[in-house]
Amino acid sequence: MSRIGVFVCHCGENISRTVDVERVARAAEKISGVAYACDYKYMCSDPGQNLLKKAVSEHNLDGIVVAACSPRMHEKTFRKAADAAGLNPYLVEMANIREHCSWVHEDKEEATAKATEIVTMLVERVKMNRKLQPITVPVTKRALIIGGGIAGIQAALDIADCGHQVVLVERDPSIGGHMAQLSETFPTLDCSQCIMTPKMVDAANHPNITLHTYSEVENVEGYIGNFQVTIRKKARSVDMDKCTGCGVCMAKCPQKKIPNAFDKNLGMRSAIYVPFPQAVPNTPVIDRENCTWFKSGKCGVCQKVCGPGAVDFTQEDQLIVESIGAIVVATGFELYSINEKPKGSAIKGYGEFGHGKIPDVIDGMTFERLASASGPTGGKIVRPSDGKEPKQIVFVQCVGSRAREKGISYCSKICCMYTAKHTMLYHHKVHDGQAYVFFMDARTPGKGYDEFWRRSIEEEQAVYIRGAVSRLYEKGDKIVVMGSDISLGIQVEIEADMVVLATAVQPRTGAELLAQKLGISYDGYNFYSEAHAKLRPVECATAGVYLAGACQGPKDIPDTVSQASAAAAKVMTLFSKDKLEREPIVAKVREAGCVACFYCKKVCPYGAVEEKEIRDRQGNLIKVVAYVNPGVCGGCGTCQATCPSKSVELDGYTDEQIIAQIEAL
Amino acid sequence: MHPEKQKHDFEPKIIAFVCTWCTYAGADLAGTSRMQYPSNVRVLKFPCTGRIDPVFILKAFQQGADGVLVSGCHPGDCHYIAGNFHARRRFATFRKLLEFVGVDLQRLQFSWVSAAEGGKWVEMVTDLTERVRGMGPMVEFKELAMEEQWSGAINTEELKEAYEAI
Amino acid sequence: MTMIDTTSYTLISEAIKTEAKRILTDGTVTAVVGYAAARRKGSVQPIVITTPEDADKLLFSKGAVNNLAVYLTKAKKEIPKTGRIGIVVKGCDLKALVGLMGESQLKRENLYLIGIPCSGVLGSIIQPDTELTEDTIAPKCLECDVHMPTGCDFIPQGAPITPELEKKYAAEIARLEALTPAERWSYWKEQFSKCIKCYACRQVCPFCFCEQCLCDRNKPQMVESTPRPAGNFAWHVIRAMHLAGRCAGCAECERVCPMDIPLNLLNRKMAKELKELYDHEAGLEINEKGPLSMFNEKDDQSFIK
Repeated sequence: MSRIGVFVCHCGENISRTVDVERVARAAEKISGVAYACDYKYMCSDPGQNLLKKAVSEHNLDGIVVAACSPRMHEKTFRKAADAAGLNPYLVEMANIREHCSWVHEDKEEATAKATEIVTMLVERVKMNRKLQPITVPVTKRALIIGGGIAGIQAALDIADCGHQVVLVERDPSIGGHMAQLSETFPTLDCSQCIMTPKMVDAANHPNITLHTYSEVENVEGYIGNFQVTIRKKARSVDMDKCTGCGVCMAKCPQKKIPNAFDKNLGMRSAIYVPFPQAVPNTPVIDRENCTWFKSGKCGVCQKVCGPGAVDFTQEDQLIVESIGAIVVATGFELYSINEKPKGSAIKGYGEFGHGKIPDVIDGMTFERLASASGPTGGKIVRPSDGKEPKQIVFVQCVGSRAREKGISYCSKICCMYTAKHTMLYHHKVHDGQAYVFFMDARTPGKGYDEFWRRSIEEEQAVYIRGAVSRLYEKGDKIVVMGSDISLGIQVEIEADMVVLATAVQPRTGAELLAQKLGISYDGYNFYSEAHAKLRPVECATAGVYLAGACQGPKDIPDTVSQASAAAAKVMTLFSKDKLEREPIVAKVREAGCVACFYCKKVCPYGAVEEKEIRDRQGNLIKVVAYVNPGVCGGCGTCQATCPSKSVELDGYTDEQIIAQIEAL
Repeated sequence: MHPEKQKHDFEPKIIAFVCTWCTYAGADLAGTSRMQYPSNVRVLKFPCTGRIDPVFILKAFQQGADGVLVSGCHPGDCHYIAGNFHARRRFATFRKLLEFVGVDLQRLQFSWVSAAEGGKWVEMVTDLTERVRGMGPMVEFKELAMEEQWSGAINTEELKEAYEAI
Repeated sequence: MTMIDTTSYTLISEAIKTEAKRILTDGTVTAVVGYAAARRKGSVQPIVITTPEDADKLLFSKGAVNNLAVYLTKAKKEIPKTGRIGIVVKGCDLKALVGLMGESQLKRENLYLIGIPCSGVLGSIIQPDTELTEDTIAPKCLECDVHMPTGCDFIPQGAPITPELEKKYAAEIARLEALTPAERWSYWKEQFSKCIKCYACRQVCPFCFCEQCLCDRNKPQMVESTPRPAGNFAWHVIRAMHLAGRCAGCAECERVCPMDIPLNLLNRKMAKELKELYDHEAGLEINEKGPLSMFNEKDDQSFIK
């Protein structure tokens, strides 16, 4: 006979408001096998946990059901408490009577009845629970960082400084990411390149960091502590060992009219190129789509002029496999484009802004390149259409952001601040110019942020108009901005020379594909999901994978750097031990029943099932059975559902446990 | 404060088999968002829809469920890479079998509900509950469970006599 | 009434004898599983022979209904261990063997396949000396697409005669599909209520090779196991589900059922569905994965909300 303890939590009033917790406890007492039942205000509090611990020894409990919140919230808490009281933690189950009951039902009778039934089901289940022991797995102390922007660089440097090996993978030819594109940074207006490039060089020179630029993650296998990551090193067509970075090839390349994406296509580059002069590594790449040699087999100038003979047209993509213990995802963001969107996309374009067809309507990043001293104009703010200096400039905030009708309801967080910065940069460079800003709200929480925003108005003469812009259209060489000023309740029309749109921050296109490779989850916008919004903000639900920067949601530089360091700290925590304890929720084969049809092996998503020979003492083969490698098993249980004779069983979710629960219905 | 709750003659038993990563989390989200839905559903948590054996669905009906909901991660979102893809084939096949032996598939709902779709969870549970309420109790399995004969009815005098004599 | 010509079976029988004698003599195989005459006129029973002398007992006739594949997996488990085995197979039986190879139960190199150009065999309750006609032929033969097996080690001369006849299973499935769920339920309830849980269907099925059947487990009792309507229903549904995508269509389950439950109807229905859903058909090619142990990301999910 089981001796189960049932602990019903009030959760303050969160549960007790709609569930008669006392009645649930009294009903639980009557279930066969329940030795003790009680209710308490806050089970998760110290006194609550002590109550549980005391009951374990006083009533000699061999199983526990805590009827409280979601197991996703506090299962660990109570399992730990049971462990401390000497009860195997896997003999604890949680009956979710808050998220699944008290919070979603109003009728007290109904909610109480439901809560009682939930508790009954879990009591029947816990009777079938078995003691489980944690599994230990070795940890490979090498981290993979995906993305070489400020987030990836910061995480890489922190982990490397701690003495661990780091593999940093960057899709573009150079690390640096978006921060390398910025002119000045808020709220101090220090030059972005001045603070970014030293970090880029540090990362490249660090003895513990292996840099793979112009590379992508092709495949990820394995699990926490033991990932096998395949990296595709795209053909650079330049031998990195031989190249000295002298730049002659770029100077001599006859193809010089290729728009440079780094400069938001305002400047031009050659077919063999580095995206920007401070690129790290300073090794050019041949853009095969635009290179004459690759298009027609003629030219080859770069190869001829290259002193060290580094140019290699025959280079091919290379696949390398790295053993990795932890992964930090730092793939960053991209900006919303107001162009027409392909069919099927929930995000709509801006027909009222001309769908991006007016040349002097630019986005914030393009403005950054114009304002940057190393940009295509050398820092002169001019119109892309005719090179004239704009005397009237209009900034429009929340383009795409907080616009449910355009498909995005979130706030992009950084636009208020960078628009304020843009008005200042503009005023510093065009003294006789006037900047206008259309805004919904100014959101400026952050150290020194509100002061910065006020300065743009009070000292730099930016005119802020609270209201939305309804239309942009060309009139002569001007752009007419039609908007409203809701403070004054009037329509506003400004003839501007240039319009800068603070477009929304979005996840990278294809972010979901990387997530699928990594087995991590993402939200409806494709931002990667953290394990817990407040308490585990840098960890993914998938063990061993951590998040840094804007791939998780819009972030400014200080937040990004903080999160990157936090992710690095998580990785270092993992690396602080040689072995890791993992949840023993793994499949085991009942060899007596196994008939070696290997359906389990065929469906296992992890390749965890092996064939095992059973031999007698003389070495004669008796039979072949399936064997599940507990280190590789992910714990999904697909094998068990597929096995015709149920000879493989997932601990923690056995048929006995589930059938007991169904039979309690 | 709240509109008067409607009383129904028949409260169906609904059992939901859900994966822990997506749908269970979606149901949690419905809770934290304080959405309201009928209290008829009982949730069984699995690591993955891949773990959900068709036998459980049959068992649920035999144990008196009037409707069964099976829900997991959207394709591509599976925490276990591909468990839901295997489950999808398994369930596509099993429901055809149930349909062929005369189970009304209106009582068996499959859905993808992500951790972000608290609203969809509410919709799934509400729709199934109300639909099954409209259909009435699942009497077929209950009748089957009540029947005792082992091969046809005791319909001859000889059999009756023999039966009485036991 | 269409008669089906089975005169070729005499020559085929002779060829089997000769070949069996040869392979037992030269040591190619250690045993041959085939058919031999039984006591009643025209009736046939399975036989395992291990000496060339016994080869004369072998024959093939319209009464050779059994699927001998079952003797390689469980009925005579010791046989395959003795070395390479010869086995007489009709097309339908061969599909079962191929399925078993895909499920790692048999290895092709351990078998010597004697394939039969088969025009059909008698239905299950037909007297063994009856002529083979469209009324007496086993319904599975009406839907057979492997009268002439391929990929065997030896196939006697013979051209199967296969008149185009009405497909009874297909017609019955269509009839049932057109009914309402309630009508189908009462049809199957009636059928399953006949079941006496003798498990002959399980015993004879080459694919029911589990050593411990799920339906016999009592810890936990996943499935009601009583011979009551509820238990019968569960058994037949789970049996059909476990065979979905695996059943080769030999219809032995239906033949051996003492209560005449149309079990193959369930199997055919599942085969039809898997063909429609995933383009899967039991065939003569060894596939490592069946339709329910693989997936395609673009699989139909119109039934999922």
